[in-house]
Amino acid sequence: MGFLLLVIPIIALLLLFILKAKRLHHLVSVSSAVLLLIIAATLTHDVILYGAIAYSSLGGFFYLDALSMMILDIVLTIGLMAAIFSIGYLEEEVRQGKLPVPKIRLYYMLMVTFIFTMVLALTVRNMGLMWIAIEATTLASAFLVGFYNNRYALEAAWKYVIICSVGIAVALLGIILLHLSSAGILENGSFLDWTALYANAASLKGSVLRLAFIFILVGFGTKAGLAPMHTWLPDAHSQAPSPISAMLSGVLLNSAMYGIIRTTAIVNHNQGSSSFAGRLLIGIGILSIATAAVFILTQKDYKRLLAYSSIEHMGIIAVAIGIFTPLSIFGGLLHMINHSLTKSMLFLSAGNIMQRYDTKQIFKIKGILKTLPVSGTVFLLGLFAIAGTPPFSVFASEFSITAAIFNQSSLWVGMVFILLLAVVFAGIAVTLFKMFYGQPDSTEAADAKTGEINIPGTVCLVVLLAAVTAGGVYLPETIRELIIQAQGIVLSII
Amino acid sequence: MSENLLETLSVLILLSSFVLMANKRISSYIKSFRIQSLLIALAAGVMGVRSLLDEGRWDIMIVCILIVVLKVIYIPGLLNRTYASVRYKVEKDFILNIPILVLVCCGLVVFSYFTLATIDGSSQGMSNMQLVNSVSVIWIGLFFMISRKKALGQIIGFLVIENGLYITAMLATQGMPFIVDLGIFIDLVTFVLIMGMLTFRMNDQFDSIDTDQLNNLKG
Repeated sequence: MGFLLLVIPIIALLLLFILKAKRLHHLVSVSSAVLLLIIAATLTHDVILYGAIAYSSLGGFFYLDALSMMILDIVLTIGLMAAIFSIGYLEEEVRQGKLPVPKIRLYYMLMVTFIFTMVLALTVRNMGLMWIAIEATTLASAFLVGFYNNRYALEAAWKYVIICSVGIAVALLGIILLHLSSAGILENGSFLDWTALYANAASLKGSVLRLAFIFILVGFGTKAGLAPMHTWLPDAHSQAPSPISAMLSGVLLNSAMYGIIRTTAIVNHNQGSSSFAGRLLIGIGILSIATAAVFILTQKDYKRLLAYSSIEHMGIIAVAIGIFTPLSIFGGLLHMINHSLTKSMLFLSAGNIMQRYDTKQIFKIKGILKTLPVSGTVFLLGLFAIAGTPPFSVFASEFSITAAIFNQSSLWVGMVFILLLAVVFAGIAVTLFKMFYGQPDSTEAADAKTGEINIPGTVCLVVLLAAVTAGGVYLPETIRELIIQAQGIVLSII
Repeated sequence: MSENLLETLSVLILLSSFVLMANKRISSYIKSFRIQSLLIALAAGVMGVRSLLDEGRWDIMIVCILIVVLKVIYIPGLLNRTYASVRYKVEKDFILNIPILVLVCCGLVVFSYFTLATIDGSSQGMSNMQLVNSVSVIWIGLFFMISRKKALGQIIGFLVIENGLYITAMLATQGMPFIVDLGIFIDLVTFVLIMGMLTFRMNDQFDSIDTDQLNNLKG
């Protein structure tokens, strides 16, 4: 059953390669996303009931536990949303003459490959293979970032590949050191095997492991967009087509964060306390939030602003993992889900806005609520949600993280944290809310009728908004159970 | 005997990255990279023969052949093709002049010595010096990327980082698991193909492969 997760994208890729008609391409992409989500749902059920899923065939590399299952669910949910949204988005791009029809096929092939590499990263137990899959996500999405093939897109793609590949190379050094720390302790067959490393964490060589953690944090941190290694992120996220931006922000960053969480679990288990990894994570997390706050305040491009907001949220998750108490881990994992849903909703609605107004500049846009009633409303509410206002779900997780920081009596960290969140809120309010005021320009109004462009995509937006709003007041039992099991894995209280 | 050979090879690999740093012509970058890969293939060959005789394992031998095919023949060939189609042949504007760059590289070696000297080496008879040499190659590769502005120079810098990682993994831990090695090769070839394509596009769009042109996205 689990192998289907890896087989379906490959079949979809082959079908896309063989089939010629545009309509069929849309169909293949959406139906493979639906199938993947159905399989993930049944697997989630199994994981909650029986714990980890592993198969002995194929070298036993396939492995899913509550932690990876949770992130996999996020990947596939957002993947489906992006696939549905892409239909309308691409048709509109073709209609506006920005995209030749043959490129639709290339787009879907790259997107399916991208999803495949992320699924691979989350379903392997070997840290080395996980590294390979995470590097492959960069390579698979490089042409998606540079999809429009103009100067800006090319620059974004170049920076993206260079910075992420070098960063991830540093992570490989960390993984080699991780391997070195286990030399003489693990058997030949279980080299770099996460479960074996975790089980024998206490006897790994502490000094090598600490060095390994630093390299892995820097390496995967680059990919997760933590400051100061975040410089590729605003470029890539603002230049990519909107459904891809949604996946980059909502999904890719989480996959990289997953690597950090796995390593943190081993290191803290080995050190017997969370102080070493915790301090590094809290420091880098606070730095990311601060960097994002500064750039959000002065931002002129709304897609870049959303990208900086992603940096902020990755920082929040890093702080939560660094605090390392049951409440903070719960909050951090929940925050991953909430951030992904909210941020992809925002990027998708930003896609609608961009197609209507044909600009990314904030000051050129006026009166969204009139021209795009649904997307505009979703965008406005989404901004409130991402800034952490109740009743939306981001508030719930940010609140538990803040509570966890103060419970742990890290008074200064807590105060800085709250202050920075307030600055970010103010930044979003000051910069973006201008877009909602005023009347649409008369020249715009002449050719742009009011009303939505992308009907199926807009339905996705409404579904996401409903999920984000409901998530703030009520957490379904299944999801809660999954997060609690994942929390147990991280904290080694299984 | 094989221990001495590996020691020598690891020093030679480090030396080849110094040679690379002192190069000015893009064509000689590619040559230096080819020589370095050849040295790595030799090291893999030595280890492969040893593990074949001692434990009967074939995987390091296969890896050695893969290195020869990919890093010595295929990738440099690909880079040469890209190189032939762009106009820029010689790097002129470095951030620092070459003697200083080489001196900084010496500094990097000293730096990695001090970071790694305290680490107790692995149990498999590897001296710390080999680890220092190979980690230095990584930092020198990174520094090479920073010091060169042309797209091809950056690609080669990344390949040198990858070489450094590879030799570190091999000397420190007797090779990664075989499947991991294979995956790294697949990623590496994809990387070179993608970057080659982006270089062509850059050459079309900007009429140069100077990465200083990439400065439109800010803030």
